[in-house]
Amino acid sequence: MGLQKIKLQRKFKEHFIEITLLAIAVTSVMVMLLIFYFLIHESLKAFIELGAIPLLTGAKWHPAGDIYGLLPLIANSLIITIIALFINILVGLPLAIFLAELAGPRSKAVLKPAIELLAGVPSIVYGFLGIIILVSYLQDTFDMLTGRSILAGSILLGIMFVPYMTTICEDALRAVPGEFKEGSLALGANRWQTIRHVTIPAASSGITAAVILNIGSIIGETMAVLLVVGNVARIPSPIFNIFTQGATFTSVIAGEMGEVPRASMHYHVLFAVGFVLLIIVSILSIVADLTRERIRKKFGGY
Amino acid sequence: MALKILPAVAFGTCAVLFISSLICLLVQPSLELIAPLWAALLTIAAAALAASIISRRPARGGKGQETGLYIYLDLILLAALALAIVAGFLSPDLVIKRPLGVGASFRYEIVLPALTAAAGVLGIKDSVNLIYGQGAKGREALVFLAIRFSAVLALLLLGGILFIIIYKGMGAISWEFLTTPHRSLGQKGGISTVIAGTFWMVLGAIVVSAPLGLGAAIYMHEYSKNPRLKRTITIAVSCLNGVPSVVFGLFGLAFLVSTFGVSLLAGSIVLGLINIPTILLTCQEALKSVPNSLREGSLALGATKWQTISRVVLPSAMPGILTGLIMGVAKASGETAPIMWTAVTFTATPVQMVYGIIPNVFQPVNNLDYHLLNLIYFLGAWDVEANAWGTALVLISLVLGTNMLAILVRNHYRRKISW
Repeated sequence: MGLQKIKLQRKFKEHFIEITLLAIAVTSVMVMLLIFYFLIHESLKAFIELGAIPLLTGAKWHPAGDIYGLLPLIANSLIITIIALFINILVGLPLAIFLAELAGPRSKAVLKPAIELLAGVPSIVYGFLGIIILVSYLQDTFDMLTGRSILAGSILLGIMFVPYMTTICEDALRAVPGEFKEGSLALGANRWQTIRHVTIPAASSGITAAVILNIGSIIGETMAVLLVVGNVARIPSPIFNIFTQGATFTSVIAGEMGEVPRASMHYHVLFAVGFVLLIIVSILSIVADLTRERIRKKFGGY
Repeated sequence: MALKILPAVAFGTCAVLFISSLICLLVQPSLELIAPLWAALLTIAAAALAASIISRRPARGGKGQETGLYIYLDLILLAALALAIVAGFLSPDLVIKRPLGVGASFRYEIVLPALTAAAGVLGIKDSVNLIYGQGAKGREALVFLAIRFSAVLALLLLGGILFIIIYKGMGAISWEFLTTPHRSLGQKGGISTVIAGTFWMVLGAIVVSAPLGLGAAIYMHEYSKNPRLKRTITIAVSCLNGVPSVVFGLFGLAFLVSTFGVSLLAGSIVLGLINIPTILLTCQEALKSVPNSLREGSLALGATKWQTISRVVLPSAMPGILTGLIMGVAKASGETAPIMWTAVTFTATPVQMVYGIIPNVFQPVNNLDYHLLNLIYFLGAWDVEANAWGTALVLISLVLGTNMLAILVRNHYRRKISW
């Protein structure tokens, strides 16, 4: 009798733990759904009262006059993301190739953790450095009205995410099986030809995933951009004028949310901006995830 | 071999040109003395290139034609730039004022080094091609040179960032700075209350995220048999990982602040949720590294599944789990946007305690990131720069220190445990 009871108790306990763990595991899904729910809930009023299309395509952002159009934010974010990504790839990819293919084992042992460490520098610190060093440098050098500009934001974001870019790309390059490279070298190709025509194509989906993830991080980065971009939401004129102030999705939310009264139209519109941002970033995350899944299938155990 | 001296000379002068013009772009000294020097170097480089093209033509016969037109073009450009400097076309009062209506002007101090740097790159490219030939070998030498150079540049940049924070921050840090609260809007005093606030908030974040992240990782790796559920959770986690921090701030504002008010608790929950993906992914890796033979051995001895997990799997995976938690600490202490409207004020009052040891979780606190943000906002108006550097240094020592600890733990056990 006693034994049976213990057995039953044990079974119950096991079952209870499994259910608890399942509930915990589903929490992350729930959190994601909750985030979506609250952002939709708070931004619904803006979409309904202003109309989704006029809100998204309005060319003027002027909260004081209750005029809200997201086009300036979209344009600015797009320009900043493109330039930042360009800088990011230009600096990060050569560094990754250097670490994966050219560096000796000893320098690699020092450099790789150092770069991983640098990925942790908080964005507010980058913002601080940006405002003290970069902004004043740009202002003096290019004789700008103010150094806080789209250019400053792009440069800062580009540099900030170099460690991420380098780390992920290096892992992708290193995941390419050695046989591929050895085969190419044995056929008489030199090292650069091997990297260019064998290693990089084989690692391309990993590099693509890195780029997509970095686009998401660049669009979503807040504090550094908030401090250096100037926070004037208008479409730059001419459109390639990167030496003027701008405002991105994130900088508008972070810069204006502190001052708006709750439940005003401005408040709801800022949530709408957040919702648009969330949609963009979620799509990017899912695409990156699918890309990585494809690599796993392609290379099997690597 | 004698023929290679000329392109080597060209290479050297072009490298000097390129590096010196980059430095000039950054430092922007007066170019009065440098400009004629550059003109002379450009002339030498052009002459060396021309001489090496001429001298190698008979040796290679018809192949010399393959050097291509662009080498001559580059030569002309180099010579033209030298001429422009000497003849005064590029005079010190040159300004390209707001070209095409953009909001910037380009002065002589920018234009000349930029042109010189471009000329230097062209010269380097041509001289490497002359030394190694136009084929695969030349291209390899050129690309590796470029990669090495940009790697050095990137490392200098990243190292410079660290160096400047440490250098400037050390001046501000003292025992008094670390142990007194800030006074007169952060101009005087230190950051003791800020450090305490950060500590409690990060601790709260770990208390929230550790069970959620670890539990989910255990379920995903040890229990789940349903691939569909697993896939859903994986996608949700990678989405959660990508959610911008400012969106978490909005979420906290809409969800938590209405219930708990602006408080330590709200901030800890938001930071905890942000941490879930980091901890979950690291713990999953840690569980993956525990070999199945250990689990099978334990099960074969009659242990239940939970006994196996709690007494065999988790202890073996402990270093990895610890790494994940430490990385969570680093991540939580570096976030500003999610707590701006949910948990912090620019207060200098110490964290209130209940029963002396537990903080009152319904009060707003101050934390390092938010303190630094406020000091940055005050920069123009008040004399807070020294304290801002100090705060930045404390912040990055906290973040980088914990990250380094995580790396050390990982490396230590990786070496020690071999299955």
